Amino acid sequence: MPGMNSGLSPSDPTLVAAFRSALLHQGAIALLMLVFLWLLWATARTWRPAASAGTSGVTAGEPAEARARWLLRTGFGVLWIFDGILQAQPKMAGGLATQVMEPIAASSPGWVQHLVNWGGTAWSYHPIQAGAASVWIQVGIGTWLIVAVRGPWSRLAGAASVIWGLIVWVFGESFGGIFAPGLSWLTGAPGAVLIYVVAGALIALPGGAWRTPRPGRLLLAGLGVFFAAMAVLQAWPGRGFWPGRAAAKPGTLSRMVTEMAGTPQPHFLSSLLSGFASFATRYGFAVNLVVVIALAAMGAAFLSGRPRLVRYAMWSGIVFCLADWVLVQDFGFLGGLGTDPNSMIPLIVLFSAGYLALTPAAHEAKAPARAAEAKRPGVRSVAAAGALAVILLGAAPMAAAAVNRTADPILALAISGDSTSLNLPAPGFSLTDQNGRTVSLAGLRGKVVLMTFLDPVCTSDCPIIAQEFKQTGQMLGAQAKNVELVAVVANPTYRSTAFTRAFDRQEGLTTVPDWLYLTGSLSQLGAVWRHYGVTVENLPAGAMAAHNDLAVVIDPAGRIRQELSSDPGPATLSTRSSFSVLLGQYARQALRQTLGQS
Amino acid sequence: MSRGPASRIRVGLALACAGLTAGCGTQAATVAVTRPPAVTAPLSTSLTTAQGTWAIAVMGGSAASHNNFWQLFVRRANTGRWSLATPEGVADNGGLVAAGGNGSLVVGFRPSQELAYSPLATSTDAGLNWTPGLLDAALADTPGAIAVGPSGHTLALLQDGTIEAAPTADDAAAGRWVPLATLKALAASAPGRSCGLKGMTAVSFGPDQNPIAAGSCVRPGAAGVFTDAGGTWRSAGLTLPGNGPGMGTVRVLGLTALAGGNAALLAISHPGGDSLLAAWWDGTRWTVSAPVTADGVRALGFGPGGSAWLLLDSERAETIAGAAGSTWRALPPVPTGTAVLAPPGTGTLAPGTGGSYDALAVSGSRLTVWRLARGAWGKVQQITVPVQYGSSG
Repeated sequence: MPGMNSGLSPSDPTLVAAFRSALLHQGAIALLMLVFLWLLWATARTWRPAASAGTSGVTAGEPAEARARWLLRTGFGVLWIFDGILQAQPKMAGGLATQVMEPIAASSPGWVQHLVNWGGTAWSYHPIQAGAASVWIQVGIGTWLIVAVRGPWSRLAGAASVIWGLIVWVFGESFGGIFAPGLSWLTGAPGAVLIYVVAGALIALPGGAWRTPRPGRLLLAGLGVFFAAMAVLQAWPGRGFWPGRAAAKPGTLSRMVTEMAGTPQPHFLSSLLSGFASFATRYGFAVNLVVVIALAAMGAAFLSGRPRLVRYAMWSGIVFCLADWVLVQDFGFLGGLGTDPNSMIPLIVLFSAGYLALTPAAHEAKAPARAAEAKRPGVRSVAAAGALAVILLGAAPMAAAAVNRTADPILALAISGDSTSLNLPAPGFSLTDQNGRTVSLAGLRGKVVLMTFLDPVCTSDCPIIAQEFKQTGQMLGAQAKNVELVAVVANPTYRSTAFTRAFDRQEGLTTVPDWLYLTGSLSQLGAVWRHYGVTVENLPAGAMAAHNDLAVVIDPAGRIRQELSSDPGPATLSTRSSFSVLLGQYARQALRQTLGQS
Repeated sequence: MSRGPASRIRVGLALACAGLTAGCGTQAATVAVTRPPAVTAPLSTSLTTAQGTWAIAVMGGSAASHNNFWQLFVRRANTGRWSLATPEGVADNGGLVAAGGNGSLVVGFRPSQELAYSPLATSTDAGLNWTPGLLDAALADTPGAIAVGPSGHTLALLQDGTIEAAPTADDAAAGRWVPLATLKALAASAPGRSCGLKGMTAVSFGPDQNPIAAGSCVRPGAAGVFTDAGGTWRSAGLTLPGNGPGMGTVRVLGLTALAGGNAALLAISHPGGDSLLAAWWDGTRWTVSAPVTADGVRALGFGPGGSAWLLLDSERAETIAGAAGSTWRALPPVPTGTAVLAPPGTGTLAPGTGGSYDALAVSGSRLTVWRLARGAWGKVQQITVPVQYGSSG
């Protein structure tokens, strides 16, 4: 999947440090915003004490919140906050696209992969903003759900949960794998976040809807159909769930559990999973039979809509789901890149809420809110506004980054390490450009020179570096006229202008203004290589000529301002773009420095 | 109106089944296709020039193709020992193509990875020193993609089937090539239409130093060998014996120039498998050998005097002398790992080589030379090649 993979390690120290720094920075801003809102509220309360109770739009005569809605709201609020905290794990910024999104999408059809790739590319271009945005959006939604008890604010929180949940379900979970083979309730089908979406939609219902058992009946009927369908899928012959072992290999369920046991986690947990995997391998048929019967029974009980049956199904379902959560889903959030506790906990909350909605307490229909509760919403409204501000805090930079088609320079910095800021006179040279004209560094005074060393018959890095330079020129826009893009040949044998021209044609550089590909005699080139610290040598046995990848930024006064490794690293779309952005930043910086001095 | 629990269960199960039915796709039916001859010409080959005998083989043994580099070995005239002669300065993990000229050897690097054109290297001292050259296009993936005439006139067959020419060795070095023919133009010419030309596989020079091109044709029994007569391409007149019903399509696998003529190796597809045969042209008529059956060719090449050799699957090797009327002769099963055979030299070999074939066997970065003597292969030399793993990313 092009674009999605930045090629960098998720635990790359530069990315991890930048992610941590962004979270701390944005966390501090969030704290300041909350303090500001609190002060605002306290001031308003002092000036207009009578209005404080009415700010939420709730009156003392309004009925208390239904237990089912309370469970959904607080349950999924806590889950969103927990997911947000998981998103703050160090490897998340660099690893979510490649280690979570891409593998999940890999078994889905092509159109799903393309869609997920689009989202993954946006993430890999801006991993820090995307990672931080996910943290704040999820923490914000969770907090919003918890603090906004009723009224439009609360329903809006449910709607926000639906919208963000759908985004996560599509891009993060590849539609929960429903279009991929091997779909099973045991491993989380149809996607944990889809359950968040359903819960959000229920929370967004008007408060009056919860006064009758109807939402409970509908929810349980839906869950009944879902469980029945999952039972049929689990029982379907040929899907591999019945045999514990097939063709001398562990069956589907054993394999899934064994894979989960490989996740980095405490030893006793992996031992527990391995033990269950062995059990499932030995008694595969019996295990699947229990699963199918349990799913079918729960489906039938929920579909029946009879409170007593549903209660039994709920309690046995809780036990069953918890067992699956531990023994098959392995808690879902371990290993450093777990994004949520998988589907079982949300499912428990959902069907428990269904039961509560089916059997509303007698007081729910008419009991007025307690006086104390009626006074609190003012605080809650401010808290809800604060939560919304936290969401915007994450979403705004991400939205701004998403419309930016260039990648963040952090990727390039992660590959090449920090550049060296210098202020040294650039060693002069006089070489021949691709058109046979003599070019000297002194003749380029007045312009910023972005210079690198390229082998015209190189098969790997050099064409990529040339493209990064070309893209830098395009990014500079009007400033490009003040910047000269210069490459010096880095091959002792294949160094004539015929080769520099061939290279330019190959890379589409012939029409790039201010592009110079310089060469000369071996002694001329040798002097330039030596002065700039570039080692060039032929290697035996069919290998490419070896040279170190180096780029220097020379300011208009002829002084070296930056020196950095131009090794393109994994040379993915995002890292290429990132290098171009970084070079462009250095060029602008060199222009500014010169202007400042003059 | 409310529905009873039983009704809801039925509806639920019906919905679940409908969903499952919709999810169960049907498998696409397989479509039968007519396949061209399975036999193609790999780049592993050997050739003989006045400087010595040259062999090309890929080494490295890495699962990553960019870590496997093609090597050129030379057994210099008057010696019996092989040495590494791969030109330096370009990664050759895309493949090497070589052609001998008047006292020189021209090597073309096939493009790989990010490189899109083909640098060249020429040696006039048996691979001790190399002069760079340039073909600003991608060489074809076939051992006959370069031909050098006695005057230095050089032909190159490109990946897209175009033939380019450099009038002199200096022009080839400086990248001054001119198009001679395109596949499209050749296919549209009278001889191209006649054979149903669909691809080019080799270039060479004819008896009067005019360019020759060969390819593969879709018309059963038609062999695509063409000569350039002052800008007009004509059929070279190669007709296969038994041409008629039951004859398969023909692909020219190799083409080389001889003194006063040419030699070619051809593959013919048959329903039961492919067969290979050699053909020689003296400028006026073709002589065609008897066929030899083959499922796959691992390497092929020409030797002095129009001789040819084939390295086939299952450790088989067949050779044929250039003389008219000669027949294929099976060599003893070649040693494991044999990548290329090298024919005897031009009669200037050192004593002891016996004018016999060498088998060059590759294992990772080690080359073992086996020599055929008294009906058995004997190990005569081992070379460890300093393969630069990881040098191409």
